[in-house]
Amino acid sequence: MSYILNRILSMLLTLFLISAITFAVTNILPGDVAMMIMGTQSNPEALAGLRETLGLNDPLLAQYGRWIGGMLTGDWGTSLVFKEPIAPLLIQKMTASGLIVLLSMTIALVCAVPLGVWAAVHPNRWQDTASSSAALLGVSLPDFFWGIMLILLFARALHWLPSSGFVDPREDLLLALRHALLPALALGLGLMAHLTRMTRATMTGILNQEFIRVARAKGLGEGTVVWRYGLANAVGPVMTVAGLQVGYLFGSIIVIESLFNYTGMGWLTYQGLLNRDIPLIQASVFVIAAVVMLANLLVDILYVLVDPRIRLS
Amino acid sequence: MPDGQTPLVSIENLRVEFQGEDGPIVGVEDVSFSIAPGETVCVVGESGSGKSVTSLSLMRLVEFGGGRIVDGRLEFARDGGVVDVAQADPDTMQAIRGNEIGMIFQEPMTSLNPVFTIERQMTDGLRMHRGLSAEAARARALELLRQVRIPEPERRLKQYPHELSGGMRQRVVIAMAMACEPRLLIADEPTTALDVTIQAEILSLINRLKRETGMAVLFITHDMAVVAQVADRVVVMYRGNLVEEGPVQEIFAHPKEPYTRALLAAVPRLGEMRGKSAPEPLRLVGEDEHRLTPTAPAERGPLLEVSHLTTRFPVKGGLFRRTVANVHAVEDVSFVINRGETLALVGESGCGKSSCGRSILRLSQPTSGTVLLDKRDILGLNDRDLRRAWADMQMVFQDPFASLNPYMRLSEQVAEPLTNYGLARGSEVQDRVAGLFDRVQLPRSFMSRFPHELSGGQRQRVAIARALAVRPKLIIADEAVSALDVSVQAQVLNLMMELQAELDISFLFISHDMAVVERVSHRVGVMYRGRLVEIGDRAQVMESPQHAYTRSLLSAVPIADPARRTIGEDMNFRPIPSPVFPIGHEAAPSVYEEVAPGHLVLSTAFD
Repeated sequence: MSYILNRILSMLLTLFLISAITFAVTNILPGDVAMMIMGTQSNPEALAGLRETLGLNDPLLAQYGRWIGGMLTGDWGTSLVFKEPIAPLLIQKMTASGLIVLLSMTIALVCAVPLGVWAAVHPNRWQDTASSSAALLGVSLPDFFWGIMLILLFARALHWLPSSGFVDPREDLLLALRHALLPALALGLGLMAHLTRMTRATMTGILNQEFIRVARAKGLGEGTVVWRYGLANAVGPVMTVAGLQVGYLFGSIIVIESLFNYTGMGWLTYQGLLNRDIPLIQASVFVIAAVVMLANLLVDILYVLVDPRIRLS
Repeated sequence: MPDGQTPLVSIENLRVEFQGEDGPIVGVEDVSFSIAPGETVCVVGESGSGKSVTSLSLMRLVEFGGGRIVDGRLEFARDGGVVDVAQADPDTMQAIRGNEIGMIFQEPMTSLNPVFTIERQMTDGLRMHRGLSAEAARARALELLRQVRIPEPERRLKQYPHELSGGMRQRVVIAMAMACEPRLLIADEPTTALDVTIQAEILSLINRLKRETGMAVLFITHDMAVVAQVADRVVVMYRGNLVEEGPVQEIFAHPKEPYTRALLAAVPRLGEMRGKSAPEPLRLVGEDEHRLTPTAPAERGPLLEVSHLTTRFPVKGGLFRRTVANVHAVEDVSFVINRGETLALVGESGCGKSSCGRSILRLSQPTSGTVLLDKRDILGLNDRDLRRAWADMQMVFQDPFASLNPYMRLSEQVAEPLTNYGLARGSEVQDRVAGLFDRVQLPRSFMSRFPHELSGGQRQRVAIARALAVRPKLIIADEAVSALDVSVQAQVLNLMMELQAELDISFLFISHDMAVVERVSHRVGVMYRGRLVEIGDRAQVMESPQHAYTRSLLSAVPIADPARRTIGEDMNFRPIPSPVFPIGHEAAPSVYEEVAPGHLVLSTAFD
């Protein structure tokens, strides 16, 4: 129990640091919110008045206090570009991105784990070479390349799936999935390659352990030895790497969502950055950081379930 | 093989090859021997002799390690007739493994699956081979745990491997191998990784189970003392071939082959130093007898004086990683090493002997006490002076492969201390290094090699040469020969004794091996739970041990003589309690009673 509490505390500390850094960095950037609202050609007096109203003349610490207070109570401010409250906007976009992130993670895990185990069971044989080469191909090419290839194949040539756009899953789940599938695949290919290599390395180590030999000496079948005795030990490490990749996925969605014109978090953050929408940028970074950390916390909690050695310490 | 008895196992002309990068590598060249029902056959040999490969072949597990049985027959007598294991199909093998042949391995710490409960691991074999229901399998598992004398068996079933001690895990592994009442138990170095008292318990357990069930045992080991204690017959292997085979008394009393004789000569036997005043080199077959031998050091005054040395390590825990307890690794230890003398520190794992050695060098920072080297207070030195002081005291570690940098040539590594301490410059460095290679009896051609090109014993010589480079007064050898094969161990021990006689070096010889300690040391200190429980001349401690712990430790040591079997049918030693104490725990000072001049015995009671 203290293990989980420990993780939660360290997560809160990290989140606080991220919020402070984000806030500080966005304040160092030239041009403040008042300037963004009124434009560079505006009347200096009106500008000063607006600054006063927005509290931009207060000490930075007070401004930060007000902002983080708002973030914690659900008042995330108003977007300068979209002219609407940020909270509902972010939640809607986060749901959209969550769908492709989850989908890509599922696709990656479902393919990577068997491939990695398969390679580890046949070390230095053709199965291993095939799986390693495929994985190398996957990691060495950027995901927007896979995105373009997927659009060309599944949308242009085969007309199986839509090439762009977003549909809210609450309106039409099937259509939403059809729209999410290609961006998820583009994201998942690199991830899958990564996880395959990771699974292979972990399983190779495990299969050389003495308890595997003991299991064979007991007369257990090779299937049980590999898929039960072996894999049960690999679940933890593979899950940890998958959890860390959630952060990488949220970085990648900026490009992928723009490519597929999928209006999620990545697309929204990109719009914010283009238009110097400072409140939107601050809130987005904070929310993405929080989601990535929650995903890792989830991994830590699951780890306790799969590895009894953690329970005691 | 007694006449008229059908063998249980009959191995004929076994040949096993491994796939190497440049063609096949022979693991076992040509081996034939047999095992009668109820018999214990020991296969003994040094690393690379093919003894493990032979046992793995019998289970056809050698294939999973990349090996292939290319020739020979491995006949195993089943109920329905004799089967050639070398030709058996996978289904037959699966029916034999764990059911008719049980196997246990060297590392109890890694032999059990860390993420499954003991119950699951003990019952899956039973459910598969015997078709037992979950309850029936559980009942049988309980019965087995009782048979191997594990306390609180019901609770153990629900536990995970990491919650059990090493000795208990090995008992579980044995119980697992015994589950289906096999006719043959293969034990591959089952006690090599264990402390000597636990080794004695496990050996006596295997002996008892063998008697109770009538199974045969194929015992693989490198340890001649273990062979002497458990074997009925012995098979000696060397480089993939069978060298000699015979009844155990015959092999020990009248070895026929030169290799067997050399192997036996290299084994120190506890008790053989009785009545000798100084350490004595081991007799190596084929080596000249005119060696320098250490003598009893004349009273030339103390070199190292350790008093009230205490080292504690904090145990961190909780949300803020605060210190929640202390490991009392070294607790109020005092001793003196005289010039040219070897003091051995012996004890089981976790007793604090290594921490003690490291604390003297301040590789671990002591909590309190004083360490005087040549009257100089080591614990009071600042970092710069401490670094200089290290020129007088060097350390040789257990694993020479880990203590040598794999990316540096050996000459560079031996030269490092010379340049670090500014002891030599320019061409003089190479000359000094060459001299050091001569001194440790390594050819000079090795100077430009890398560590992986050397054998274990050669690497340890390099480590010794490196320690010698700064002409130290004291060398702390921490299990320096434990990882070496016996013949190599004997050579390195002889080298150390020679260096002592020649260069007047003092040794702090840290070891778990009582027979080796008896051979090399002038004085012996026994450590237990961080304290020195007994110290005195070698003869005093080894021949008339006074402290209860010293006595039980000595009683557990297997003796390399089949005529002196000390491993009984049921040995049980008290498990060593945890050295972790709450913060603020005040340990009582160590008080000693002088039972004879220079022979001190701890009278402080342990709490």
